[in-house]
Amino acid sequence: MRRLAYVLGIVAFGVSPLVLSDYGLYLLTLIAVVSLIALGQNIVTGVAGQASLAQGAFAALGGYGAALLATKLGMPIWLAILLAALAAAVIGYLVALPALRLEGPYLALVTLAFTAIVQTVLIQWVALTNGSLGLEVPALTLAGRLIKSSTALYLVVLPVTAALIVVAARVLDSRIGRAFDALRQSEVAGRTAGINPVRYKTLAFAISAFYGAVGGGLQSLLTAFLSPETFGILESIYYLVVIVIGGLGGIGGAVVGSAVLVLLPEVLGPFRQYQGMVYGVLLLAFIVFAPRGVYGLALQLGAAARRAALIAR
Amino acid sequence: MLVQAVASGLIAGSIYALIALGFVLIYKSTRVVHFGQGEQLMLGAYLVLVLHTFAGLPFGVAVFLALVVAAVVGVLIDRLVCAPILRTPPLTKIVAMLAVGLILREGTRAALGSNAYPFPFLLSPVPMTVAGALVAPANLAVLGVCLTTMAVLFVVFGHTRVGQALRAACENPTAATLSGISVPFVFSVIWAVASVLAGIAGILIAPLVILNPDMGFVALKGWMAAVTGGFTSLPGAVIGGVLIGVIETLSGTFVSTAVKDATTYALIILVLLSRPSGLFERQAVKKV
Repeated sequence: MRRLAYVLGIVAFGVSPLVLSDYGLYLLTLIAVVSLIALGQNIVTGVAGQASLAQGAFAALGGYGAALLATKLGMPIWLAILLAALAAAVIGYLVALPALRLEGPYLALVTLAFTAIVQTVLIQWVALTNGSLGLEVPALTLAGRLIKSSTALYLVVLPVTAALIVVAARVLDSRIGRAFDALRQSEVAGRTAGINPVRYKTLAFAISAFYGAVGGGLQSLLTAFLSPETFGILESIYYLVVIVIGGLGGIGGAVVGSAVLVLLPEVLGPFRQYQGMVYGVLLLAFIVFAPRGVYGLALQLGAAARRAALIAR
Repeated sequence: MLVQAVASGLIAGSIYALIALGFVLIYKSTRVVHFGQGEQLMLGAYLVLVLHTFAGLPFGVAVFLALVVAAVVGVLIDRLVCAPILRTPPLTKIVAMLAVGLILREGTRAALGSNAYPFPFLLSPVPMTVAGALVAPANLAVLGVCLTTMAVLFVVFGHTRVGQALRAACENPTAATLSGISVPFVFSVIWAVASVLAGIAGILIAPLVILNPDMGFVALKGWMAAVTGGFTSLPGAVIGGVLIGVIETLSGTFVSTAVKDATTYALIILVLLSRPSGLFERQAVKKV
C-alpha cells in the first residue's frame, strides 16, 4: 500500500511539469516549502507537545540568514541556506534551554515574544537587512545553470523536500521520536522512565528550528524577495493553524495542512479576503472536534473503508 | 527629560495594566489564557468607529453601545468556545483562543479592509505642561479612565457581595457551587467585565495608533505585564503594566526608539526565566 503511494508520488512528480501551468508548479513548490516549516512546528508542538509560536522567527532566520550570507559573503545560496539552517538550530537550542522551565501558555508567550523580537530586529537593523524596504534574494545556480523558473525550482525543491521529510520520518520513528511522544504525554512519567527532558526538549526545538529555517530559506528562493513584514506573529500563528488543520503530530499532517493553507485562497477565488476568517473557523473546529486534523480524518476514513470492505466480503 | 519619559511611561503603562487586568481576570477564573484579547481590544475601537463615524451616533452613545456589544461578544466567546473546552489539555485551549483572535481579526479585515480610518480623541491632543512634563489632555484622559476603572474593579471585587461571589468561584469552583453560586454565570460575568476592559483599552489606544485590524498585537505587552505580576495577581498585573510602560519609554528615550519594543520583550523573557511564576506570585505547585 505504501509502496503504491510512493510510486504514485514519483509519477505525479514527473508528470506535473508537463500537465500543470507555471503557476500550478509554483503552488506545488510553495506547498513543499511550507510543509518543511510546518513539519518543524509539528515536531516541536505536535509530537513533543511544546507550545512553540516561534516558527515564524526561525523561518525568518533561515530566509534572511541565507540571503545575507549569500550577498555579503558571496556564498552560493544553497550553502547559505544550509548554514543558516544550522545556525537556526543552534539558536533554537539556545532559546529552548532557558525556556525549559516554562510550559503551556508561558512558553507560548515567550516564543511569541521571541518572534516579535526577531521581527523588530529585522525591521530596525536597516544597515544589515534593509529594513522594511526588503532584501533581494540571490538566485540559485547549480552546476552552472540558473534555477529561477517555476519548473526549475520545482524540480530542485521538491526532491530536497522529500529527502528532508524522509529524514524527519526516520527521526520520529527512532528513540528520539518516542522520547518526544513520551514527553508530550507526561513529562513526569517520561522522566521516571529515564528520558531527560532537558536534552529532548532542546533537541525538539533545535530540529524544529532547522526545518523552519530550511523552509524559510527555500521559500525565499521562490519569492526572490524578503520583507520583514511577512515574518511576524501572524505567520507563527499560521504555522500552528497548518498543523492543527492538517493533523497534529505527523508528517502527513504537516503536508496536508500546508496544502490547505496554500490552496485555500485559490479555492476561495473572489471571496479571497475571507481566507483569514476561514482559517480561524477551521482552526477552532479542528482543535476542538478533530485534533487529528484532515490527515487523521482521512486515515480514519481509509480504515473504515477497509473494514467495510472486509465485512462486505 | 526623565520626568517626561516617566510621565509618558505611566500613561502607556496604565493601558498595559488595563489589558493585563482583563487577561488576569479571565485566567484567574477560567484558567483560560485569552490569546484573543488583543482582538477584543481592536473590536472595541472598531465598534466605536462604526457606530460614531459611520452611523453618526454621538461619541458617548457610541462608546456605551460599543462596550455593551463588547461584553456580549465576550459572553458569547465564553459560552460557545470556553465552556466546551474547559477540560481539554492546555494546548487545545491555547489554540482555541488563538483561533478566536484570528476569526475576529480577519473578520474585521474582511469587513472593513486595511484602510486607515481616523479615530476621534477623547479630549484634546494638544500638549500642556504639568509639573515639568508635556502632557496632552487626551493622555491624561487615558490615565484617568484607567485609574477609575481599576478603582471600581478593586472596590467591587474586594468589598461587595457580588465581588465575594466572584472571588469564591475563582478560588474554588466546587465549594462555590455547593454554596449556591452559579459558577458558569460568574465566569460569564467575568468575561463580560474583561471584554469591557479590553474595549475601553482599545478606545483609549485607537487615537494614538492608526486604527487597523492588527492593532490588537499591542496586547502582547499587556500579557507580558500580566506575566510579570504572575498570572493570578490583579495588583501584580497593574504593577507589571506600569513597570513595562515606564521601562519601555525610558529605554526608548535613553537608548533608542528602534529597539524599544525588543528591549521590553527581552526584559520580560528574562523575568519569566528567572521567576517562571511571575514576580508577585507564590511559586505554583504543579499537580502531577
